[in-house]
Amino acid sequence: MPMADVAPSQAMQRHLVNFISLLRSHDVRVSPAETLDAMDVAATLGYARRERLRDGLAAALAKTPAEEAVFHHCFARFFDRSLADFARTREERSAEGDAEGDAVGTDAVGTYAVSTDAASTDAATENHRASVEQLLDEASRDDAALAELLATPLLQQLRNNDSTALNLALAEAAASIDLSQIRMFTQKGQFTRRMLDAMGEEQLRRTLARLEQQGSPALEPLRRYRDILREQVRDYVEQHYLLQAEGQNARFMDDLLSRTRLSHLEQRYLHRVHELVRQMARKLAERHARKRRVYRRGKLDMGRTLRRGIANDGILFHTHWKRVQKTKPQLLAICDVSGSVAAYAKFLLLFLYSLQDVLPKVRSFAFSSHLGEVSDLFAQYPVDKAIELVNWRYGGATDYGRSLQDFARLALEDINSSTTVIVLGDARNNNGDPQLEIMRSIYQRSRRVIWLNPESRRAWGTGDSEMLRYLSTCHFAAECNNLTQLERIVDQLLKLNR
Amino acid sequence: MHTQDFPQLASIEAIEQGFESYGYICSPKIATAVYLAFQLRKPILVEGPPGVGKTELAKTTALLLDVPLIRLQCYEGLDEAKALYEWKYGKQLLYTQILKEKLGDLLKGAQGLAESVDRLHQFGDTFYSEEFLEPRPLLKAMQQERGAILLIDEVDKSDYEFESLLLEILSDYQVSIPEIGTVQAQVSPMVFLTSNNTRDISDALKRRCLHLYIPFPSVELEERIVLSRVPDIDQQLRHQLVEFVHSLRDLDLKKSPAISETIDWARSLLLLHARELDAQVIHSTLNVLLKFEDDINTAESALRDLLPRHAHG
Repeated sequence: MPMADVAPSQAMQRHLVNFISLLRSHDVRVSPAETLDAMDVAATLGYARRERLRDGLAAALAKTPAEEAVFHHCFARFFDRSLADFARTREERSAEGDAEGDAVGTDAVGTYAVSTDAASTDAATENHRASVEQLLDEASRDDAALAELLATPLLQQLRNNDSTALNLALAEAAASIDLSQIRMFTQKGQFTRRMLDAMGEEQLRRTLARLEQQGSPALEPLRRYRDILREQVRDYVEQHYLLQAEGQNARFMDDLLSRTRLSHLEQRYLHRVHELVRQMARKLAERHARKRRVYRRGKLDMGRTLRRGIANDGILFHTHWKRVQKTKPQLLAICDVSGSVAAYAKFLLLFLYSLQDVLPKVRSFAFSSHLGEVSDLFAQYPVDKAIELVNWRYGGATDYGRSLQDFARLALEDINSSTTVIVLGDARNNNGDPQLEIMRSIYQRSRRVIWLNPESRRAWGTGDSEMLRYLSTCHFAAECNNLTQLERIVDQLLKLNR
Repeated sequence: MHTQDFPQLASIEAIEQGFESYGYICSPKIATAVYLAFQLRKPILVEGPPGVGKTELAKTTALLLDVPLIRLQCYEGLDEAKALYEWKYGKQLLYTQILKEKLGDLLKGAQGLAESVDRLHQFGDTFYSEEFLEPRPLLKAMQQERGAILLIDEVDKSDYEFESLLLEILSDYQVSIPEIGTVQAQVSPMVFLTSNNTRDISDALKRRCLHLYIPFPSVELEERIVLSRVPDIDQQLRHQLVEFVHSLRDLDLKKSPAISETIDWARSLLLLHARELDAQVIHSTLNVLLKFEDDINTAESALRDLLPRHAHG
């Protein structure tokens, strides 16, 4: 590999850094250390073979299969961008494409014919181009300004169709004006203008204006070069915009969604929210999943005991015991699925479902007029089906009194000092018996009772809301109607559980 | 490990060919990862569904390089005494017994306590020395003179504490033993970690590794794998059986058949002298591919849809 020994150029390094910032905007976490790794990988593998570089960079940068998928998507968009084609204008290209398409259409087996056609077209354009170049050269002989323009690197590259140099110039211009900062589609025009300026199009523009007044024969060929340049720059900016904005918009959307009231979310964003909730539950579970170790008498740690004994002539004064993992506190969650909280119930159930997925010891209950355990449903069915089944089985008019009785029958015995009980509901009991004494016995037996109410604090206790009375039987009660609040509360809750 | 000592890993093509000569057919992606791990001296974290050859990759690399493979199987509760080093308590105890007996001779003629202690100090502190050190896999891998392949298998089954223990070893190839000091690897071993994703590996550990995800192989690749492992099987049957396994993987199964199961199945079909895949043959050998009663039922009920394509294909 000849490339492998050459240190990557500055431009390539910058390119790589841009690529990594693109990955970051698509939610792939890349640390500075990994950036250095990526540089090493690129230096080892070289830039010559794209697929190899892709596999290598993926190994250094993407750390999960999901991230790898994102990586491949971004890599394709970022590196496989076909190099800009400066040979002809878009019109010319489409005209040629049509001609070839026609040829194929009329002659099904005529590959030979097509290729000769194409060859003859090529020859024709070649002739035409030569005459045009001649025209330009002749005009520049009596026009010093035009000659100067033609001597600039930009025009020389355009005339020689030096696509490598031109693509490099594009990349450099993009770097000099920070094209990667583009965020909104309204900025496209402005960035295109600045790109053109950075590439030195201004001189070309001025000369063109003058030639137009003079009616010079060099006007047409020169204008064609300008059109080509503009088209390519515009496309380049467009691609960049698509690439950058995609990641940003997704993040913007997530931010927005997590702050919107759950009842106001539209159906079409549901799947996105589902994903967010899952991420959140996973994140929380991970953050709090670190198991503590406690001593429990039962198993002797022979090694340590002997070692301690050595100092005492081999007499085992101090015994050491193996450490074992303590089981984690139990979580019981009760969710109201009645009509009054229907808009929220779906999300609360979704959250419960995700939580049960990631935390080992969660028992879930759902109620409206009566109550039942839904842990098994959650464990058996995929999320959509499970939520639908729960709503179908337990939906209806609210009766907190009866539901609490059911709950006491099902689970009161299992509540002990390591149990946390979470109630998700609006405490609107249709003026029925609130069965406060059951709540109180739950309160007394459990480690913690937490009530999450989707209604705002001001509405608590108004109308048929029993919230203020239930409040006396809770360790902690909070308003909870968007994802950010939910996350904060659950985070606190898990901390308290330690 | 250096390139000049191991020409087998000098280029990606060499790795692919070398692996193939040991019957491990790999995609360019895998070869690239191994090449990078070797060149950049970084561990590889290999993930993927069970049975796609994660462990096999490490074994084959060891074969290819002709260096020892040192394997550490992770499980819950694995600690440094089992992974890193342990003191030889029995010998240490004997040593103190001997010391006690000889103590009288040593201290003969010493005047007062101070002189006795001085004399004691003149002896080297052999109690916590390498002689009484029992190296466990991690330490052993670092003591190998020609380098080694260290396979830390199913790292996701270990505890978080163990992961932290790995950090020092994986980034600097050194081990700190409080009583002795830091032990630096003479020749840094090549490290493979495998994970079945039963839990997420910590970011700190992931950051130190190259990440390689091995998915189920493509039909073409799997056919080559079967060819290399079961060379006697008829070409058409091979194609049919690999296609069939691939369509099984599309079903909603508890455990999809892995490469090792495809190979086992190919061997079974060869033993049964099967010429072609038909319902009868599949019915009687499906238990080689699928390990759950539910999965077998699911597959059999879908057999009608899966078969015709292959029977005539």
